[in-house]
Amino acid sequence: MTVAILFQLILNGLAMGIIYALPALGISLIWNASGLFNFAQGDLLTLGGYIMLTVFGKLNIPFIPAFMITVAAMGLLGYALSQIYFYPMLENKVNPQIILIGTVAFSVFIRNLVLVIWGTTPQTYTNPFGSQVMQIGELYLMPHVIWIVAIVTVLLSLLQYFLRSTMVGIAMRAVAQRQTASWLMGIRNDRMIALTFLLSTSIAAVSGVLISPILPLTPSMGGMIAVKAMAAVLIGGLGSFSGALIGGVAVGIAETIFAAIVDPAYRDIFIFGILVLFLLFRPGGIFKAQVSEKV
Amino acid sequence: MKKVKTLLHKYILLVIGFILLILPLFTSQYEFYVVERGVQNAIQVLGLLILIGYSGMMSLGSAALLATGSYTYGILLVKLGISPWLGALLAIIITTLIGTLLAFPSFRLAGPFLVVTTVGFGEIVRILLLNLESLTGGAYGLEGYENLFADSRLVYAFMVVTLLLVAVGTQRISNSKLGLALKSIRQDEVAAEIMGVDVRRAKMVSFALSAMLAGLSGVFLANLTGYMSPDSFTSAESTTYLLMVVMGGMNSVVGAIISSIVITALPEFLRFLSSSRLLVYSLVLLIYLRVHWVKSSRPSCAGVAKKLKINIGNNKSGRGGGNG
Repeated sequence: MTVAILFQLILNGLAMGIIYALPALGISLIWNASGLFNFAQGDLLTLGGYIMLTVFGKLNIPFIPAFMITVAAMGLLGYALSQIYFYPMLENKVNPQIILIGTVAFSVFIRNLVLVIWGTTPQTYTNPFGSQVMQIGELYLMPHVIWIVAIVTVLLSLLQYFLRSTMVGIAMRAVAQRQTASWLMGIRNDRMIALTFLLSTSIAAVSGVLISPILPLTPSMGGMIAVKAMAAVLIGGLGSFSGALIGGVAVGIAETIFAAIVDPAYRDIFIFGILVLFLLFRPGGIFKAQVSEKV
Repeated sequence: MKKVKTLLHKYILLVIGFILLILPLFTSQYEFYVVERGVQNAIQVLGLLILIGYSGMMSLGSAALLATGSYTYGILLVKLGISPWLGALLAIIITTLIGTLLAFPSFRLAGPFLVVTTVGFGEIVRILLLNLESLTGGAYGLEGYENLFADSRLVYAFMVVTLLLVAVGTQRISNSKLGLALKSIRQDEVAAEIMGVDVRRAKMVSFALSAMLAGLSGVFLANLTGYMSPDSFTSAESTTYLLMVVMGGMNSVVGAIISSIVITALPEFLRFLSSSRLLVYSLVLLIYLRVHWVKSSRPSCAGVAKKLKINIGNNKSGRGGGNG
């Protein structure tokens, strides 16, 4: 294997890894804010992808407005979901196991909703980034690989700025740290948690939109990605911003290289093997988040 | 009072058993198959009841253990040509061993970490079933093995009797030393350990029992269908089993049996739902969880809530609140 091929594999893995990293980040954000592990994250991604299919592929709205409509719609859904469903349960101090079952049920609900509305046949729309293979030196690259990396880098920088430097972002992080204290400081916990859900579902939507050049849309797509995203978030460190990103990218690159060198059929087993090693020897993940108290 | 209750429960189980045994006389061939599947699912769900309901350890990999039982039985019979009864016994033993291995992660992990581990286990088993073609037949599936009895009615009768025995056993565990240990782990693991509960041993027994019943159910599944393919053991199946446990009340043997049979049979009565069966189930579950848990203090819901009472995290209502 030449260095060029390896480099190419790493870039492709990076694009795939970013797709995993975004739902992983969503899981992490919600976990931090509310101590709730969202099993529906992957299916929210599917829903985002299908909304984009309707808005961009069927209604022929140009890419950038369609992208924004999709993300906004999914964000609203997340906000409503938290206000109507999950926050009341959190406020009533319902056993986490029950809420966990709730998110599992929600994941099944979205998957079957997509199945009923859009059908089971794999669907796709024209690749907005163009399907002309680019050649840089010895490297052959699809343009969407570069676009995915670029778009996500910009969005994550904006998100980081929002969380670190704006009043709302700081309030959200305060809620994540200690709810009672932030409540006493005059922060509306319910709104902040709902905003976290909004961010999280929007991120899932971005991921759902960006995935379509790589994979055709199917209702069960989210399940497969969620499994990797969950592995990524635990490998990276649950509750850590950079942990989710690094974990996702690591999973993406590792599985791409494993698939190319060893056997594509067993790449999921490889990822879970790594996950089990992490859970056994370093349960906090790469960025050892302080999760032991919450568990 | 307690004696009356226990008596009543035994009585209910016998009634269920009697209804199940005479049911084939009135049903068509296809409806009979649905009832068979219901009984087979009930055995699996009772195993999950011990794991999820009693000990509070969520598992989303239950279909994988069912697959282990089914496939071990099928492979042993087809490839090694041993007798069905020996095959069934070995299948149950092997499934129990594999299921017990799953207990080891649970010593250190809890909550979502453990659930992700079980999801991973489910995926690994599914991928192995698909790819180890020489052994499992891959996507084409596996068939051509003998059944426990040549007559399917006998298999059914045997299954119902097994279900009743398992149900009585599960019920007895509920109030035994082991059951109380498991419930104390569910409430507070650290407190349970301080009170002298051997947490590791209890968790292992819980996983082992659950896996044993999954293996048993898997053997029956192999007998019912005469054919197995990886498609029957997806994560959607695991979710359906979880749903059956939750809708059954998570603490009641009778509830678990009724909910598994009803949920298995429901699509046959609601034909128009054929493609959106899980959509409706999950919606019902979502509404049930939301209504039951958020407003449980209000009297208006108490009547409905009492029937399907879930005891988890509800210390005040105590043991008397459930059916166990």
